[in-house]
Amino acid sequence: MKLLRDLLDKQVVDREQVKIGKVDGLVAELRPGKPPRIIAIELGSITLARRLGARPGRWMARLAVKLGGKQHGQPHRVAWHKVKDIGVDIEFDIDVRETSIFVWQDWLRDHVIGRIPGA
Amino acid sequence: MKKLMEISLGVVTSVGGFLEVGSMATAAQAGAMFGFQLIWAVVLGTICIIFLVEMSGRFAAVSHHTISDGIRERFGFNVFLWPLLAALLVNFLVLSAEIGGVAIALEFATGIGFQWWALPVALLAWLLLWKGTFGFIEKGVSILGLVTLCFVVGAVMLRPDWTAVARGAVPSLPVHDAANYWFMAVSILGASISPYLFMFYSSGAIEDRWDKSYLGANRAIAGLGMTFGGTISIGVLIVAALVLATHGVTQVDDYHQLPLMLIPIFGFWGFVLFVASLAIACFGAALEVGLQQAYLVAQGFGWNWGEDRKPRDDPGFSATYTISLLLAAIPIALGLDPLKLTIFSMALTAASLPLTVVPFLFLLNDERYVGEHRNGIISNAAVIFIIALGFVLAAVTIPLQIFGGT
Repeated sequence: MKLLRDLLDKQVVDREQVKIGKVDGLVAELRPGKPPRIIAIELGSITLARRLGARPGRWMARLAVKLGGKQHGQPHRVAWHKVKDIGVDIEFDIDVRETSIFVWQDWLRDHVIGRIPGA
Repeated sequence: MKKLMEISLGVVTSVGGFLEVGSMATAAQAGAMFGFQLIWAVVLGTICIIFLVEMSGRFAAVSHHTISDGIRERFGFNVFLWPLLAALLVNFLVLSAEIGGVAIALEFATGIGFQWWALPVALLAWLLLWKGTFGFIEKGVSILGLVTLCFVVGAVMLRPDWTAVARGAVPSLPVHDAANYWFMAVSILGASISPYLFMFYSSGAIEDRWDKSYLGANRAIAGLGMTFGGTISIGVLIVAALVLATHGVTQVDDYHQLPLMLIPIFGFWGFVLFVASLAIACFGAALEVGLQQAYLVAQGFGWNWGEDRKPRDDPGFSATYTISLLLAAIPIALGLDPLKLTIFSMALTAASLPLTVVPFLFLLNDERYVGEHRNGIISNAAVIFIIALGFVLAAVTIPLQIFGGT
């Protein structure tokens, strides 16, 4: 399996098949004398901005802290051992509601979308 | 029987997607200024969009990915960013032009200036996206869109010289206003080969849960639907050539000249038909482009999406079309001339084509996505031709805009 080709930028779903993002980044562990091993995937705007360069990454992290508080200064990580199935989407054995990945969507629902009639 | 129903629905839907303010305005301008001479551009644009729509549907049916998903996954985020930004910008202009088209139709109908209609039109479109389902929008747009057939009926009733029409289907060099001629050709191609159309189609295929058993239906819908749409555009062009030019209108630079088109044929009802066609075709397109903006962003970043879900279930998706419609209404509400905006955005669409069409060459030849259903030699030749055409259009659009733009 070629990691960058087959994993990066694929759709990620949780165990309820909720689309929670794309594989925006991969976290690998370097082991002396052995091939590196994937230990987690990263999702979110900070990881995406880092792919454009170190500076956009720092800007995005600063913006995230400003908007969401200190706990949002780091990208979201999902441990690789939670992976359940790799098909059209990659399914992880997690529930997005127990993570902070959708905090902004929840905010949007509670403060804006949910207040409009008919939502 | 069920498949036959789906094919006919699909064909009618594609007409709804194909015929919008861009194809109507560019066909009318071309007809008024150059007679039948630019029919070839409509024919060429229609053939190109048939190929792209077929590929888009095939890609979605076999790989269960939309085109946006495919571009992001195959090329990575840093590459995806460029077609994403280009499509968002072009769609914004097109959406604005469509809202302008409906607003002008309402101005004709009521006498109240078009800028007052921009926000109500955007609000109505938003309400349909907010409350409606994909099937409802698809069927509503398509059935009402059949009114645009009045242009084909009108063209036939005018008894055009069919050999001259056929001669127009073959490209020829202009005898006057060369820069204008080529600018019109570029705008017609931009209006026919719309990225929102072929990208929207793959999202529609996923929303309608297509699989490999739909490949035949897909081919029929792409071929018949786009041909049907192209025929109506040619109808507009013929009517414009025979009616506008004979009434001394050789340059459509003011949209108030347009309703004249059908009056000599149908009398007062011609006015009603024109207003209804313009309003419905543009409104349908506004719904599709608004939805496409949300599809594009949600698919690009991996959020939940789907027109059949409640807005509160995917806040990011519904917020995107809400903001898109609102922003697109602003230029029209401020009084920007919808006809000028339309022609400008069609030319810019043409210029953006390389960014959205080049990925097709890779995605449709990648066995990991389309397996044995990858492109044959004819489809590949067509994509390469469209890419080459796209690069030429991108290179010539800006100079032509300066020298030939109206």
